[in-house]
Amino acid sequence: MRDATPRLTRRRFLEGAALGATTVTLGARRASAQAKPTITYWNGLTGADGKIMDELIDQFTRETGIRMEQQRIVWADLYAKLQVAVPADEGPDLALIHTVEVPHFASDGILEPMADATTSAKGFKAEDYLPSTWQGGMYQGKRYSIALDVPQHLLYISTKVLKEAGLAGADGKPKIPGTRDELLAMAKQITKGDTYGFSIGTTNPGRYTWGFHNLLWQNGANVYAADLKKSGLGEPSALEVAEFWSAIQNQHKVAPPANANCRDAFIAGKLGLWIAGSWNFTGLREAKVEFVAAPVPKIFKQATVWTMPHQFTFPKKKAVDAAKRDAAWAHIRWMSDHVAEWTLKAGQVSALRKPHSDPRITGDPVFRVLLGQAAQWQSGQPTPKWVAAENLTRPVIENVYIGQKPAAAAMGDLARQINALPD
Amino acid sequence: MRRRGAFTPYLFLAPGLVLFALFRVYPLLEGLWLSFTNARLGRAERVFVGTANYARLFDDTRFQLSLVNTAYYTIASTVPILAVPLLLAVALNRGVALRTFLRGAFFFPFTLSVVTVGLTWLWLLDPVIGPSTYYLRAAGVPVRSWLADPATAMWAIILTTVWWVTGYYLVIYLAGLQDIPRELYEAAAIDGAGGWRSFWSITMPLLRPVFLFVLVTHVIGSFQIFGQVFVLTNGGPGDATRTVVQHLYETAFQNFFHFGSASAMAWVLFVIILAFSLLQFRLLRGHTQY
Amino acid sequence: MGRSARVWRLLITAIMVVLAIAWLLPAVWVLVTSLKLTENIVRVPPEWIPWPATLAHYGEVLFSSSRTARIGRAFLNSTVVSLGSVAVVVLTSAMAAYPLARMRFRGRDAIFALLVGSLMIPNAVVLVPQYVLVQRLGWLSTYQGLIVPEAAMTFAFGVFLLRQFFLTIPSELEDAARIDGADPWQIFTRIVLPLSQPVLGALAIFAFRSAWNDFLWPLIAVNKPDMFPLPVALALLRGAYAAESYGPIMAGAVLSALPLLIVFLVANRRIVEGVRVSALKG
Repeated sequence: MRDATPRLTRRRFLEGAALGATTVTLGARRASAQAKPTITYWNGLTGADGKIMDELIDQFTRETGIRMEQQRIVWADLYAKLQVAVPADEGPDLALIHTVEVPHFASDGILEPMADATTSAKGFKAEDYLPSTWQGGMYQGKRYSIALDVPQHLLYISTKVLKEAGLAGADGKPKIPGTRDELLAMAKQITKGDTYGFSIGTTNPGRYTWGFHNLLWQNGANVYAADLKKSGLGEPSALEVAEFWSAIQNQHKVAPPANANCRDAFIAGKLGLWIAGSWNFTGLREAKVEFVAAPVPKIFKQATVWTMPHQFTFPKKKAVDAAKRDAAWAHIRWMSDHVAEWTLKAGQVSALRKPHSDPRITGDPVFRVLLGQAAQWQSGQPTPKWVAAENLTRPVIENVYIGQKPAAAAMGDLARQINALPD
Repeated sequence: MRRRGAFTPYLFLAPGLVLFALFRVYPLLEGLWLSFTNARLGRAERVFVGTANYARLFDDTRFQLSLVNTAYYTIASTVPILAVPLLLAVALNRGVALRTFLRGAFFFPFTLSVVTVGLTWLWLLDPVIGPSTYYLRAAGVPVRSWLADPATAMWAIILTTVWWVTGYYLVIYLAGLQDIPRELYEAAAIDGAGGWRSFWSITMPLLRPVFLFVLVTHVIGSFQIFGQVFVLTNGGPGDATRTVVQHLYETAFQNFFHFGSASAMAWVLFVIILAFSLLQFRLLRGHTQY
Repeated sequence: MGRSARVWRLLITAIMVVLAIAWLLPAVWVLVTSLKLTENIVRVPPEWIPWPATLAHYGEVLFSSSRTARIGRAFLNSTVVSLGSVAVVVLTSAMAAYPLARMRFRGRDAIFALLVGSLMIPNAVVLVPQYVLVQRLGWLSTYQGLIVPEAAMTFAFGVFLLRQFFLTIPSELEDAARIDGADPWQIFTRIVLPLSQPVLGALAIFAFRSAWNDFLWPLIAVNKPDMFPLPVALALLRGAYAAESYGPIMAGAVLSALPLLIVFLVANRRIVEGVRVSALKG
């Protein structure tokens, strides 16, 4: 006999598989007849996004029978609460957090790793996702989260302001800047009286680290060097960015004061060119502001676009309830399958590739811009000290912005502070 | 009667002290203990590190800067926050018309939460679209961002705080002024004393315990200021308005989650406020009796 | 003499009224914003009259943010917690302040110093040990888990405030009662408390507001959405990334301020019509 194992012909195998599948399906249907668990879910999607999430969750509950008890807390407070609650075993079954929070939460033991076998068994595969979003859930070789969507930067152009500045064509369409020189030239033409030409940031442009990071990445610089141990902010490429940060306020004088509310200024027609998060555009439409969406211009070497994907993750529990964990997985699966709805209503582009060819999405001019930037997406570095470094960065870049401190000294100082961060 | 008398004070104190001991003293002492460890939120194990957290504060320039900012705020805000409600209270107590409306008007801001106050003033003072900016510009005053200028940011915060809390101190002063018998003022008027004179020789001395209370409460509160600064400037521009409690809060609940460090900061703050308060008590002890 | 006094009084009233109106302007801005249509909210030049006006934002606050935090329920929670906290604070503070002001006993000064000293520690650092304690008591997401810590937070302040006021009450009244044979409890309840209505009112306002507006403690101590008090529920109106929705936020602020205003008006009458002490009467 060539092998001792019973002869497993292909036919028998298929029969067995079919039988197994039927049993599993019947079993699942029987299980769904049993009571479905209720799972707790914390996220930071307050405001308008939250209501859309509510609708989707209601739909999920109708289709699967799984109820979700949501706690929505403003992001900064959400993270504080997670850090207090999870060690006391009072955390939720499922949480939605930002990519950059994953490393420090994972390193503190707040999150549970997702085994690769489970992840692929639930149908999540690398090729379905854009690389930067698939990688974002990893820390030290382990996966801790699955990406949902990709909030990112884009350039908002105020039609009214540009028209008044003479920067619109005969058809009323405003000119779109692609490079730094174009941007500054247009901004200078716009800036007069109480109207400003250019700004980066929703509020407080002086301390908008997300914008600063965007510019750093465009110039090939980053907060940490490649080894993630020493700060890269002392490099000349970072210094160049800091000098630009100071110049738009102090030299070119095209940017509003450090604590201006840029979003309100844009809505009121007092700001012409505005780089800010994609999450603003639904609000702009609601406020009936006329604007054109454009890709983030190439201010430095590359046209890199800052992103901060939302990630689904499982906070640690002392004892994992299998039914609840399955239910949580079911929700992630369902949301990923229905992410086109999320995109259309909340304005957040998905991390999954498939909806990117959905004609409802590609038909919208803003989504077209956002999707077009996909090749330029970049996210924060996977070090637990990222958030701490970011908090140190804020006051320093604000000082640079208002001209209180020269760029070189400030960057050197910041690099020193970041290097001194304890582990 | 004697034996009952001996226990009486303690019986009166008992309910409050039990509440206090359990929910204040115990957590405070635990906080003190934590200040000598490397406690971090999210990590169960804590290692005793002696005075390391306190020693680190000597190198923490941001902590020191925040102490300076907080002291500056406390001293700079004392006169406006103490004097404005007092003057308003004296005027209201004199017997002006429309008293209820006036009292309600000054008190109303106090009913708003710190976030509402912060957001409202942030908007009012916005350098691009804020109403105050608009009207000042229309009046020909050169536009500046009060909150983004290190020289004026703290004063803008003080202005906001005066607006917010005057109403409450007004109520406290009014309650104190009620206790001063009318007859004293009448007697003084008969003796020919004018308004200012009776204010200084009757009102102020009799108001002393109340004034001391307001002063000490204000100092304690100022050293712990956090909410409105956080919303208005987030400690900026740069670190110009960063306060101690903000530094403490960020250390404990954001990026670092270093609870041991934060506790050490809190106890250092405690010692400083204690010193200030003892000073005030001693300076103003004087007459606590009628 | 009388005429100049009247002119003086009129002048002061006029100044006060102007000041009061200026004082109210930011609050008026809040009210006006809550009534404007969304597209009219951010405008330069600023518009003070909300026309066309809308109640849509109030509707949104009250009815549509209903899934994760019912605002009506949050109102109820806040009311229960705040009233409960006031009751506990006023009772315990008054009872504790009286012996500290009027009696001599061992440890009096030490206890008072301890109480005032505790005011000097920022709440943030007590939060986590308090959380662990409350969790062990099984009080997370319960009313008592909110009322008792809130009361404890205001207790020392209450004692400090009341003691200072008890000190201003002339001791003759209490001495007279003692001679008549009253025991300490009777003196406390029949003489001291009634005379202290103004300051008790002031303390009640402070304690109510402190519990009503507290955000940080309920944030971590409550895990059931329908037990959230108002500030936590209202925080949901703020956009996720500082994309403020001013309309609902201001509407929420107005709604949240109303109960406090009512408490003030009620307590205020006590403060104003508080009993005047006369040195000449017995």
